[in-house]
Amino acid sequence: MDTILRINNLFAGYGKECVLNDISFEVEAGKKVCIVGESGSGKSTLLKSIHGFAGVSVTGGSIEIERNILLGIVPQNPGGSFNPIRTYKAQIGEALKSNNIDFKIEEVEKTLQTLGLSDAKRALRARPYELSGGMNQRMAIATTMLLEPGILLCDEVTSALDVKTAGIVVEQLLEINRLRKTTILMVTHHLGIASKMADYIGIMKSGKMLEYGPAKEILDNPQNEYTKNLLKALPRLKVN
Amino acid sequence: MNHKRKKINRIKVTISAVVALLLVLIALMASVIAPNDPYVTNASAIRSAPSAEFLFGTDNLGRCVFSRVLYGARTTIAATFILVAVSFLLGSFVGILSGYYGGVLDEITMRIADIMLAFPQMVVAIAVAGILGGGLSSAMIALGITMWTGFARLARSHTFAIKNCPYVQAARLAGKSGPAIMMSHILPNIIAPLITNALTQIGTTMIGISGLSFLGLGVVPPTAEWGSMINESRAYIQIAPWAVMYPAIATIVTIIVFNYLGDCVMEYRDED
Amino acid sequence: MPDSDIVLTGKNINKYYVDKGKKMQALKDVSFYLKEGEILGIVGESGSGKSTLLRHISCLEKPDGGTFFYKGVEYTGKSASFAGAFLQMIFQDAQMSFDPRMKMKKAVVEAQKNCSHDKLSGILKAVGLDESLLEKKAGNMSGGQCQRMSIARALCSDARILLCDEITSALDVTTQAQVVALLQQLREKEGLAMIFVSHDIALVSMLCDRIMVMKNGECVEEGQTGKVLGNPQHEYTRELLDNLIELKM
Repeated sequence: MDTILRINNLFAGYGKECVLNDISFEVEAGKKVCIVGESGSGKSTLLKSIHGFAGVSVTGGSIEIERNILLGIVPQNPGGSFNPIRTYKAQIGEALKSNNIDFKIEEVEKTLQTLGLSDAKRALRARPYELSGGMNQRMAIATTMLLEPGILLCDEVTSALDVKTAGIVVEQLLEINRLRKTTILMVTHHLGIASKMADYIGIMKSGKMLEYGPAKEILDNPQNEYTKNLLKALPRLKVN
Repeated sequence: MNHKRKKINRIKVTISAVVALLLVLIALMASVIAPNDPYVTNASAIRSAPSAEFLFGTDNLGRCVFSRVLYGARTTIAATFILVAVSFLLGSFVGILSGYYGGVLDEITMRIADIMLAFPQMVVAIAVAGILGGGLSSAMIALGITMWTGFARLARSHTFAIKNCPYVQAARLAGKSGPAIMMSHILPNIIAPLITNALTQIGTTMIGISGLSFLGLGVVPPTAEWGSMINESRAYIQIAPWAVMYPAIATIVTIIVFNYLGDCVMEYRDED
Repeated sequence: MPDSDIVLTGKNINKYYVDKGKKMQALKDVSFYLKEGEILGIVGESGSGKSTLLRHISCLEKPDGGTFFYKGVEYTGKSASFAGAFLQMIFQDAQMSFDPRMKMKKAVVEAQKNCSHDKLSGILKAVGLDESLLEKKAGNMSGGQCQRMSIARALCSDARILLCDEITSALDVTTQAQVVALLQQLREKEGLAMIFVSHDIALVSMLCDRIMVMKNGECVEEGQTGKVLGNPQHEYTRELLDNLIELKM
């Protein structure tokens, strides 16, 4: 398998404050990777530095991305990335145009259907404020997917959603990965979600990558004390 | 970057506060600083130009303009401060009550406030001052009638937001009474925006008081007040421009200083 | 059901809201009971009315219909301070549970003037907090510390019932586990009864004796936790269980 993203001894932060401390890992093409960490662990900063956000400054190390690969990012709160009173059709059209991609209605509808929005025409006519959080989140993923990114970066995409909707969104991310072979890099605080979708899991704490490896290894045989605690703390359904 | 802007803002607040304080101090010490009695007429020095004896010249009755400007500062600034303070207390009190308890009380006070807001402040003030007749106190009542509504609205909306915070609900469950919660939890948390509003109101109120006096609805002559001084002297502005100019400059400078202070404080607070 | 050890009962609670001229029913004929030393879990999605129910039980809001009883005595329509004598509420937003301008030592014993220093230090020890935190304000404490502190505040009041409104959803997993362990310990040692509202069905299954499933303001299923989750009768409960994202091992 080809390595699509390689991060070498990355140090990054905001201004003088260093948030990420010597992070290294590799992502293979077509794989699903979840970075798990609690709030303040630096996982969102990691995502931002990979995507090249202006506010994040890399002070050491390197981020290598395979050539001609587009990065797509889905934010935690889709409400902030759409204009609430413009139709999705107009906004998606604009996003495509600015990336020099033609707006093909069949293509758009197909993508929306992959994400479980069966009535794609109605969804396109809708405005963000008219739709629920889960619907908006799926529209955000769809918009990003239309840009045909090589890597889909997801920042806590499920944490603002209901359990039920979160499950559906995770299913659909898996579906996208299966159909289009899109590499997914997701950060989440929910180990359960990671166990459900990830091929590789990284555990982060206070800016450091404590463990990184195949999901099965991390979950079944964690080496780090913190990972063990995290696994123990996760509530599990108890029937009798 | 943010840190730097905050520092600049803090310096701006400090400087404007110092200047404003200086103005208040001058007003308070008027009787010490003033070289002449502002009410003594001098038939031999009518409309004399600024000189060493009369720093700002004299007016139509030969009174020292400099001394009158100083005493006028006392009248204007004191009236403004009292008026803003009373509106602040009354408005916040009504606003917190109606925000916290809601219901009929809220409906009534907010409808009254709406009616007050429907008219421009100065129009209401002129009408009310006209009905009440001249005098500084009636001018203050005329301006205060609309001013308290601003504080009431502000206090109400902030109280409304805080009322549903868990800590207020926890206090209710802990057995605290409504008035106790308002005093210990709500007031301390909404006082900052109210004080900012009070600071920005100072400038407008000064314009109001001077404006009413200029129209003859405020301070009655011979009491020294900037608005009435301008009104008295404007008839002979070509002969003795200083008698109009100096009180006008005093008014403008004072209003700018207090408005700037209010703006700076508002900006400083928004930074947090 | 009429049992002598029932401490809290609610019968046919109804609540309507008017939203943009439309009348919405937030609670539809909800009935429940809570036994001494029992933990009742309420699960449901956001908007299912579970938090609204807690606010009604604690008299923070008045119902449009129905009655509440504490140990057989009706207290419907009484003030929140009346209800506060026997029940206390813990909120989701731990940081905002305390006045941002108040030091902990003042906020915790706010209305319990007779709470002695010995009692307070005992309570702090029970919830696992250091006494030095009493000098701090909420903004300088972590979410977990704030949540423990609000439990401490509830304990100061001698209330025997705790109403927990999504108290762990804003916390990290490890902190959540600590807070849940604390609740379990309080139930065992002090015999407190609790109503634990959460959207996390797995968490509820670990902590609660009985469970109530709510949807759109209605109670769709109620019973022993094992029974309800092991053999769900209502379609909605099954749906919730199916969509549960659990650790796959």
